[in-house]
Amino acid sequence: MVSKQAEQFLTELRFYLISKGKNDQEINEITEELEVHLMEAEAEGKDVSHITGKSPKQYMKSIGESMQTDYRQMAGMVPMFILLLAAYFSLGPAIEGKFSISEGTIWLALITGAAGILIYGLLLLKVLPKFFHSKWSYVLLVGTSMAVTGLFVALMLWYKTQGFELIYVASPAENNWIIVLCAAIFIGSAIYSKTWFTIVIPLFLSLGPIASTVIPEEVNNDPFYVTVTVLVFAAAAALAIAIFLLQRKKKKSNTRV
Amino acid sequence: MADTTQMLKGILDGCLLAIIKEGEIYGYELAAKLESYGFHSFSEGTIYPLLLRMQKEGLVSTTLRKSTAGPKRKYYSLTEKGEQELGQFITRWEQVSSSVNNVLDKRGK
Repeated sequence: MVSKQAEQFLTELRFYLISKGKNDQEINEITEELEVHLMEAEAEGKDVSHITGKSPKQYMKSIGESMQTDYRQMAGMVPMFILLLAAYFSLGPAIEGKFSISEGTIWLALITGAAGILIYGLLLLKVLPKFFHSKWSYVLLVGTSMAVTGLFVALMLWYKTQGFELIYVASPAENNWIIVLCAAIFIGSAIYSKTWFTIVIPLFLSLGPIASTVIPEEVNNDPFYVTVTVLVFAAAAALAIAIFLLQRKKKKSNTRV
Repeated sequence: MADTTQMLKGILDGCLLAIIKEGEIYGYELAAKLESYGFHSFSEGTIYPLLLRMQKEGLVSTTLRKSTAGPKRKYYSLTEKGEQELGQFITRWEQVSSSVNNVLDKRGK
C-alpha cells in the first residue's frame, strides 16, 4: 500500500490524464507503474517528491505530453453523453407515465445538459481530485448536486409556465418501453465506461418519480405495468451494480497479487 | 549553468537504453541503477515520460509480471530498433564528448 499523499498524487494524475482525453488503458498502465515505484520508494523512506520533483503539476504535464490523445475514445464518448442525457431526461416523466415531447423540451434539454456537463465536469476533473481524501469532497458533491437539481427544478417551472405545444404524448405502454430503453442506456454506458455511477445516479433520480407513482392519489392508468417495469428496472440496475462491484473487486485482487 | 537537468536532456535517453540492454528491468530498479551510476540531480519520476515516449517509438517493449507485493511490475526490454538507436547514441556521444574534451583540454593548457 502507498501513503495517503502518494494515493492523492496518483488520483490527481489519473483525473488530469482523463481530462486530457488520454486512452483509459494507458492511464491505468502508467498509474499502476507509478504506484509500484511509489510503493518501493516509500518502503525505503522516500516520499512523493522523489518522483515528482519540485512541481507535481509540471510532472503530470510531462507525463501527459508523452502520451497520445485518444480521439477515437473521445468521439465514442459524445454519442454516449447524448444518449445518457436523453435517458436522464426521459426516465422521470416516463416512470410517472407522463412522457411527452414539445419544442421546449429540446431547449430545456440543451440548456440543462450543457450546464450540467460543465458543472459536473469541472467538479469531477478539477475540484474533487484536490479534496479526494477529505470530508469536503462529500460536501462539495452534495452541494453541487443540490445546486444542479435546483437549477433543473427552476427550469422545469419556467418550462411549465411557457405552455409549449405538445408534439408527442406517450401512451402507458410506450412509457414502459421508454423506461426499459433508459435502463438499457444506463447499463450499456456503465459497461462501456466501466463505471457504475451511470447506474447509481438514475436510481437516485428515479426515487422521486417512483414514489409518486407508487403512492398516487388516483391510481395511474395501469398501475400493474408501471410497477412491473419499475421492479424490472430496479432488479436490472441492482444486478448490474452487483456485477460491477464484483468486477472491481476481481480487478483489484488481480492487481494486488 | 548550475542546472545539469538541461544538459542531461537527450543524454538520459541513451543511458536508459544502455541500462535496459543489460537485461529486462522495471521502472524502480532502473531509477535506482541510474542513481548508483551517479545521476542524482533529477527526480526519479523523470524516467517515466521518457520510457513512455521510447515505448511509443518502438525502442523498448514491455511485459507485465507479478511481483511479491502490490500491483504487477512493468518490465522493459530493448527492441531491435532500440539497439540501433543505442548504437547511434554511442557514436554521437563519443563525438560530442571527445570534442568537448578537446576544447576543455586546450583551454586548460
